Amino acid sequence: MSDEQVRVLSRRAFLSGAGAGFGSMIIAVRAAAQQQPNPRARMTHDSSIVRDTTNLFAMDQGAARPVRLPPKPNAVKQLTNVQRDALEHQLHCQCGCTLDVFTCRTTDFTCQVSPAMHRDVMALVEGGYSAQEIIDAFVSTYGDRVLMAPPRSGFNMLAWVSPGIAVLAAAAFILAFLRRSQSPRTAPLGPAAKGVDATDDELARIEAAVRRDDE
Amino acid sequence: MILIGELSLWVALLMAAWSATVSFAGGATRRTDLADSGIRGLYATFAMIVLASLGLWTALLTKDFSLEYVAGHISSTMPSVYIFTAFWSGQAGSLLFWALILSMYGSIAIATSRRGNEELIPWATGTISAVLVFFIATTCFKANPFTRLDFIPLDGRGMNPQLQNPGMALHPPNLYLGYVATAIPFAFAIAALFSRRLDAQWLGIVRRWTLLSWFFLTIGIVLGMWWAYVELGWGGYWAWDPVENSSFLPWLTNTAFLHSIMIQEKRGMLRKWNVVLVVMSFLLSIFGTFLTRSGVIESVHSFAQSPVGPWFSTFFFLATGITIYLVATRLRDLEAKAELESMVSREAAFLYNNLLLVGIAFAVFWGTVFPVLSEWVTQNKITVGAPFFNAVNIPLGLLLLALTGIGPLIAWRRASLSNLKRQFATPTATGIITGALLFALGMRAPYVLVAYALCGFVMGTIVQEFYKGMRARQTIHGESVVMAFRHLVARNRRRYGGYIVHAGIVMLFAAFAGMAFKLDNDVTLKTGEAFETTDPYGHKWRFVSQGVSTSEPRDRQVIGVGLDAYRDGKRVGIIRSEKRAYHDAQGNPLFQPITEVGIRTTPGLDTYVVLAGVRNSDTAELRITFNPLVVWVWAGGFVMMIGGLIVMWPQAERRRAQAGYVAVMRPATVGSDPVGA
Repeated sequence: MSDEQVRVLSRRAFLSGAGAGFGSMIIAVRAAAQQQPNPRARMTHDSSIVRDTTNLFAMDQGAARPVRLPPKPNAVKQLTNVQRDALEHQLHCQCGCTLDVFTCRTTDFTCQVSPAMHRDVMALVEGGYSAQEIIDAFVSTYGDRVLMAPPRSGFNMLAWVSPGIAVLAAAAFILAFLRRSQSPRTAPLGPAAKGVDATDDELARIEAAVRRDDE
Repeated sequence: MILIGELSLWVALLMAAWSATVSFAGGATRRTDLADSGIRGLYATFAMIVLASLGLWTALLTKDFSLEYVAGHISSTMPSVYIFTAFWSGQAGSLLFWALILSMYGSIAIATSRRGNEELIPWATGTISAVLVFFIATTCFKANPFTRLDFIPLDGRGMNPQLQNPGMALHPPNLYLGYVATAIPFAFAIAALFSRRLDAQWLGIVRRWTLLSWFFLTIGIVLGMWWAYVELGWGGYWAWDPVENSSFLPWLTNTAFLHSIMIQEKRGMLRKWNVVLVVMSFLLSIFGTFLTRSGVIESVHSFAQSPVGPWFSTFFFLATGITIYLVATRLRDLEAKAELESMVSREAAFLYNNLLLVGIAFAVFWGTVFPVLSEWVTQNKITVGAPFFNAVNIPLGLLLLALTGIGPLIAWRRASLSNLKRQFATPTATGIITGALLFALGMRAPYVLVAYALCGFVMGTIVQEFYKGMRARQTIHGESVVMAFRHLVARNRRRYGGYIVHAGIVMLFAAFAGMAFKLDNDVTLKTGEAFETTDPYGHKWRFVSQGVSTSEPRDRQVIGVGLDAYRDGKRVGIIRSEKRAYHDAQGNPLFQPITEVGIRTTPGLDTYVVLAGVRNSDTAELRITFNPLVVWVWAGGFVMMIGGLIVMWPQAERRRAQAGYVAVMRPATVGSDPVGA
C-alpha cells in the first residue's frame, strides 16, 4: 500500500468517525432542545474528594453510650492528667469522625460524643481504675471499634503481622536472588561474557571512567 | 455553551471509543491508517472534553442553578476564584476533570513520542483511550455534572467554608495531575507488553511521565498537609486518613520506580519489576479513587449503594487481570540482561530501597483496607488509626532514611573496601556526632535519636557528594565555587537534583521526629485569666485571655478569643482563634461550624491555639499546642519540589551522555539490546 493510499484511507476513517460523532451530536441537540428538567434529580450535596477529607467532622451525636463502673473501694487515682490524655488518644471518638477522644473534644465544640466519653474516662479514673481497665470497659461497651488501632488478638492480629511478614518474605526473596546472581554458575565478566566488542584494555578504561563518574 | 458542553461530553465518549477500537485494531494488524485514525480520535476526544469543561465552567461562572452540580457546590456570594475551583470540588466535576487531564496528557504524550516508537504508539493510544472511555462513561451515566434539577433554586448551597482556602484550591488539581500522569507510563507499559518491545525504548517516556506524576503528587500531598494543619484544627498535618493514604500509595511506588529504573538503564536489570511498579502506580491511583468514591471504607455495606463504586471496582479488576495476563505471557521477554555482582553495590542498595518503599506501601494499603476485610470476616467494625500506621511505618521509614544516605556512597556493580571506607567516613562521623550531641543535650527517645542521627548521616552524604563534585570541577576547570556548583548541577541534573530531593526528605524526617515532642494543653480561661506552661525547648510561656468576642458578618456568626502571649516574660503578640458558623440568607445553618486556628510560627516551634468551645459567654475552652519544627515540613516539601524540577528539566542528549546516563554499548551480536536509554 502506497503512502498516498494510506493517507486517503486514514482520512476516510477519520472522516467516518467524525461524521458519526457530529451526526449523533445533531440528534442529541434536537433531543436536548425538547428535554424537560430531570424530575429524578434531587438537590443534594454529593460526596467528593474534598468532602471526604472533611469526613473528619462527620457526626452522629447520639452515638455515645454510658461506660460506667462502680468506684473501687478506697479508690485512689492511678492516672495523672497527662496519662489520662494519653489514654484518650487511644480511644476512637464514636461521633463518626476519624479523631481520637482527646483530639475531637479539644477541636470541635459541636461534638457531644467526645465530651461524654471524656466524662466517662474521668469518672473511671476517679474510681481508681487503671488505664487497661478503662480501655477494657470501653471495649466491652462499644466493641473493638473504640480502639484507635486493632487489638493484637484473633483475626485482627493479621493486621499487625502481615506487613512484617511481607517485608521479611520479600527480603528473603531478594537475598536469594542476590545469592543466585553471585553463584559460581554466573559467568565471570569478560569481553566474551558481556558480548561487547571491546578489548580488555578498552573495557578497563570504560570501567574506570564509569566508576569515576559514579563516585 | 452549557448545552454544547453537555453534548460534547457524549461526543467525547464516542470519540474515545472509536480511538480505542481502531488503535488496538491498528496495533494488532499493523495498519498505520487505523493507528493514525486512533491518534486523531484521541485529539478529538481532548477537544470535546475541553468543550465539555468550558461548558461546566460557564455554568458555574454564570451561576446557572438549574444544574444540580452548580446548585450543590456554589452560591451567589462565593468569591469567583472558588466558583472556578468548584469545577473539581464534587464527584461529577472531578471525574470530568480527570478526563480533561488524561485526554490532555494522552495527546501530549502521543504527539511527542511518535517518532521512533511506531510499534508502541497504537497500543499506547488504545490504552489511554480505553481508560478515557471508562472515565467519560462513568461521568455520562453515573455522575453527570450537567444533570438538571426539576426546579431552579434562588441560590446554591455553596462550598464548605473549610474548602475555601488557597491550599484546598490547589491541592486537588495537583493530586489529579499526579494521579492521572500514572496512566501514561501504564499505557506505554501495556503497549510494550502487547507489542513485545520490552527493550529500553519505552523507558525514557515512562521515566519522564513518572517523574511528572511524582512531582505533582508531592506538591498535592504537601498542600493537603498544609491545608489540614491550618484549617481543620486538630493539631497535626497527617492523620493516616484513607484519602491521605490513597494519595501516598502511588507516590511510594513512583518513588520506587524512579530508583529502580536507574538499574535498568545502567545494567538492563529489574525489567519485570519495573513493569510491575509502573502498573502498580496506576492501579493504586485507580484504587485510591475507588476507595474514596465507593464509600467502602465507611462500611463494606455502603459499597453497593455508591453510584460509581461497582464501576470503579470492575475497571480496577479488569485492568489488573489484563496486566497480569500480559506480564505472565511475556516473562521470557522480560529476562534481565545482566546479573548483580555484589550485595554491596548501588544496584543492591536500590533493591533494598525498593523493598522498603513497597513494604511501606503495602503496610499503608493493608492498614487502609483492613477495616473492610475485618468487617467482612468478623462482622465487627474496627478502627485502624494513627497508632497502627506509626508503629508499622516508623521502623521502615528509618531504614529507608538510612538507605537514602547509603545508596549514593556505594559504587555501581561492586564496592571495594577502600571505596566504602573513603566514602562512609565523613557521613558516618556526622551522624554519630549529631546523635551524641542530642544525647548530651538530654534527648533520650530512641526512635527520635536514631532519626536525627540518620538525618545527620544523610546530610553528610549529600554535602560530601556536592563537595567532591565541586572540588573536581574547581581543580579541572578552575571554576569559582558558585560556577562549579552551577555547572555541577546543570550538567548532571538527575544526580544532583536527586540529592536536593534527598535534602528535602531529610528536612521532612527532622520535622516528623520533632512532633515526638509535641505538647498539648487543655485549658479553660476566663477573661483576664492567665495560663502558664513550658514549651518543649524549656521556655516559659504565659497566655492571658483577652476575652471572648462575638460578631455577625453577613453570612456567618463568629465567636473568637485572643490570647496575649509572652515567652520568657517577653510579649510575642496576640494569637487569636475563632469558631465560625455559616448560614444562608434565611439564617438556616450551612455546614458544620468551622475552626480558624491561631498559629504563631517560628523556625523551631509553632504555637497552635484552637478555640474548642465557650461557656457562660466569657469562659473559653482552648487547646494550646506546641508543635516543634512544623515549618520544616513545608520547607522540605518546597526543597523536594525544586529538586524535582531540576531533575525534570530537559537536558540535551549530548549532556546526558557526558553525565553517564546514556551508557550505550555497541552490541557485538545482532539482537542484543543496548543497555541504557
